[in-house]
Amino acid sequence: MKKLIYIILLVFTYSCEDVIDLELPTSEPKLVIDASIEWLKGTTGNEQSIKLSLTAPFFDIDVPPANNATVMVTDSNDTVYDFIEDGATGIYMNNTFVPEINGEYTLTVLYNGETYIATETLKSVSEITRVEQNLEGGFSGQETEIKAFFNDPGDEENYYFFEFIPSLPVTPTLDTFEDEFVNGNEIFGFYIEEDLDFGQSVTIRNHGVSERFYEFMFILLQQTESGGPFETQPATVRGNCINQTNPDNFPLGYFRLSEVDEFIYTIE
Amino acid sequence: MTLLQRVILFLFLFSPLGILAQEKYTLSGVISDISSNETLIGVNILFPEQQTGTITNEYGFYSITLPEGSYKLVISYLGFQNIIETIELTSDLTKNYSLVEATETLDEVVITEDIEKLNIRKPQMSVNALSASTIKQIPVVLGEVDVIKAITLLPGVTTAGEGASGFNVRGGSADQNLILLDEAIIYNSSHLFGFFSVFNPDAIKDLRLYKGGIPARYGGRVSSVLDIYQKEGNSNEFHANGGIGIVSSRLLVEGPIEKQKGSFLFGGRASYAHLFLPLFDVDNIAYFYDLNTKLSYKLNQNNNIYLSGYFGRDVFSLNDSFENTYGNTVLNFRWNHLFSDKLFSNVSLIYSDYYYGLNLDLIGFDWNSGIRNFNLKYDLKHYLTDKIKLQYGLNSIYHKFNPGEIEPSNSTSGINPQKLIDKYALENALYFDVEHQLSDKLTASYGLRFSNFLRLGQDELNVYENDQAVIFNDELQIYEKAEPIGIEKFDRNDVLKSFNNIEPRLAMAYQLNNKSSIKASYNRMTQYLHLLSNTSSPTPLDVWTPSGKYAKPQILDQYAVGYFRNFSNNMYSLEFETFFKTVENRIDYIDGADLIANDAIEQVILNGKARAYGLELLFRKNEGRFTGWLAYTLSKSEQQTKGRTANETGINNGEWYNTPFDKTHDISFTGSYELNKKWSINANFLFQTGQPVTYPNGQYEYNGIRIPSYTNRNEFRLPTYHRLDVSANYTPKPNKVKGFRGQWVFGIYNLYNRRNAASISFNQNRDTSRNEAVRLAIFGVVPSVSYNFKF
Repeated sequence: MKKLIYIILLVFTYSCEDVIDLELPTSEPKLVIDASIEWLKGTTGNEQSIKLSLTAPFFDIDVPPANNATVMVTDSNDTVYDFIEDGATGIYMNNTFVPEINGEYTLTVLYNGETYIATETLKSVSEITRVEQNLEGGFSGQETEIKAFFNDPGDEENYYFFEFIPSLPVTPTLDTFEDEFVNGNEIFGFYIEEDLDFGQSVTIRNHGVSERFYEFMFILLQQTESGGPFETQPATVRGNCINQTNPDNFPLGYFRLSEVDEFIYTIE
Repeated sequence: MTLLQRVILFLFLFSPLGILAQEKYTLSGVISDISSNETLIGVNILFPEQQTGTITNEYGFYSITLPEGSYKLVISYLGFQNIIETIELTSDLTKNYSLVEATETLDEVVITEDIEKLNIRKPQMSVNALSASTIKQIPVVLGEVDVIKAITLLPGVTTAGEGASGFNVRGGSADQNLILLDEAIIYNSSHLFGFFSVFNPDAIKDLRLYKGGIPARYGGRVSSVLDIYQKEGNSNEFHANGGIGIVSSRLLVEGPIEKQKGSFLFGGRASYAHLFLPLFDVDNIAYFYDLNTKLSYKLNQNNNIYLSGYFGRDVFSLNDSFENTYGNTVLNFRWNHLFSDKLFSNVSLIYSDYYYGLNLDLIGFDWNSGIRNFNLKYDLKHYLTDKIKLQYGLNSIYHKFNPGEIEPSNSTSGINPQKLIDKYALENALYFDVEHQLSDKLTASYGLRFSNFLRLGQDELNVYENDQAVIFNDELQIYEKAEPIGIEKFDRNDVLKSFNNIEPRLAMAYQLNNKSSIKASYNRMTQYLHLLSNTSSPTPLDVWTPSGKYAKPQILDQYAVGYFRNFSNNMYSLEFETFFKTVENRIDYIDGADLIANDAIEQVILNGKARAYGLELLFRKNEGRFTGWLAYTLSKSEQQTKGRTANETGINNGEWYNTPFDKTHDISFTGSYELNKKWSINANFLFQTGQPVTYPNGQYEYNGIRIPSYTNRNEFRLPTYHRLDVSANYTPKPNKVKGFRGQWVFGIYNLYNRRNAASISFNQNRDTSRNEAVRLAIFGVVPSVSYNFKF
């Protein structure tokens, strides 16, 4: 809702935004663990990858990969899945992974002599049943609104993570969702895009996630949305990975396991 | 016994209470403006030969007790002709005086109200008074005369900038200001997110801002008191005044209900419905309006009654998909009663409420929240002798908090209706204040306020293991919400938690000579209500929450000393003050706390502390063609939330960090120059250290997007804020005193078009995928014209 106020503020005033040059401090590089195990509905989910990278100065175009790490995921039966780096990309792959709903998994990363670990549960997700569009939506009445409906299970607390990837050269839109006010109902993920027209498509992916991931992503997205006077205090967001060797040198990122439903929608 | 208690005891023991050597009599009465019969606040009643005197109170009443004798009496109030007469005090005497406005007999008539002049004798320090006429001279954005913008030009007062609600006093947050309109509490002082304030300048008689040394009759907020009095209305004849501006138009009518006895005042102000919007080809509405009402009636010499009301709303709607309404409502009944010529009393019955409503059709829900209270005040002013004045009273406020109610707004909405649990509290206080002239040179004011807060039963309250609603995850080094282990249910009459606090207040003035004095003050204050806001400045949707099991009351201790001097027969004045204050139990929020529609706010808050200190300088020219002031503040405002145990990190690793309202240097100048009878020109200049902000020291990639990673909280600052505003007032027929009179005001806000950053945000450009630093600047150069009239 704060974002709404910010939008109103921009609309209702003479205010304007411009990009400025600014000198910013640079910290020591930190390990970033982007470990998202995704089990797309209708697949076996055996092919998985984990991305390791390092933090970079804020205005840099590229972020450096973290190479030569040892990466493995262990399930509750002590089965070890080794993830092997693809060249020097910082992307570590495995093609024998066995996903299991509500299974508990542990990630271990050995990098630069330090051991990082994280534990998480694989969460299920409901199917996207239908998608509605409205070409005269948004605050301006000229944007394309997409609603992706699904049925929330009424007997549990559910947390969702949505990705909307349009067939446009823009970064994807991410969103989090909880069922606190909508438990057990048919509910929808909501997406607005200005330039989405006939024939263009959007890939909608809904992920089942844990409450902790929901909290993590909620804060993370707050920090990436435009600020304005109503911005919440930014802070470094800590995920679920810890550095066992040197706790103060904590990593960024998250180890998440989700069942995923995907819906590719073409604008009519 | 603390040092302070000893001092108070000492003062009592040595006070001349009960020492009656000579027969004494009391002179009392009411002083008003002859043309409107409007009572005047702060009029000086002086006995120059005895070097003593008094001033009228908020209701125009004065009382002074002197030995039998013949006295030369001078009544003076700037802008009005003095009354000088000799009175024979051989019995108690009631004398009401009507002052005649000093008409423009000479060219150099520039009127500043006497209330603004420095009274070096009074122990009260850290207070600034402004009259409606001064406020109206200050150039403002879009020509909208603004009370809050005017006080931010005073030393020790800042705002977070354009588009930020409220104001900050001596490094305190906006919710720590007690804002009173005719003694009723106003919860949100801003229209349109702080661009304009809710007070209609035409309806205001005068205002006082207490930044320190706050008298015991005020309580409930820790930073400051902004006490605003509305006009009563002209009880002699009908008058109207108003204005037409770019943003809004206003009209105020006043007149007698019964000549000399009763009067009415109705004021209305409304902005244009499509404010700013022709620029956008969208179906939007944004406007605000407010209504001020006051009815006064003099029952007889000893009894006056007043009924005053305020109603204001802001309304926004965007393309039918979003609608937002919020505002304050205040209704106030007061009864002034004179028990004797020495004992003045006032009873106030006040209802006040703040409402916030939102309809978001995009998602399909309605949202309502608010706070309402019933307030009973009984205040007595006891004019014991010419050396001692007592004020005592009691105050009881019943609060009801509606943190929010959510409902589906249409049949296809997936929202389940839900009501966040209402909260209730009772806030009580008893106080006394003594203003005591100890010797020719030394004057003191000392008092105590006993405050009591009862958090009353609510339907459900979460119970946590060890009463810890926030837990620290040792492994991940983060704070997390605790899971409730149960729910307690209560009756409305149950007391969940009670707090008692004794708040001593002390101020002393020592007169060095007839031009200068030094003053010192100490005050302790308690604030039981907290505005939940983790943004740099409050938003209209922030909700208030009472202290209770998990949120402790904020307790302030403030010390201030100052040097005060008048020059050239009071034409100039200089005030120099330094202050130090600490606040215990300042609420802080765990990282990423979501405060909106949160039914378990205790799970995201931690109790921290705050401190602020600084120097303030105010140099003022009170008379002549040129009037105005220059204010400089050097200060520091910080906050700290340590871990509760050694393992916990606290907020910002438990280290002190700058509050968002820490402005190291703050310079403001405002001046008005009367060129001739028709033209006067006004200017403001502001220069402030940039607001503390947190900058990123790196970035990383996660899930396909770039995320900034941040340094410690508020380590950096926005660029320095500075701005120059000018305006010119043109009065076509300055000599006309009756009939229709008009005035034009031409203004330019931000003359040199400085693009002051309201914020800098760091994000990834969606189209280029590059990271950017984006500056938001609210107002560039803004010209305006408005027309004011009266008849």
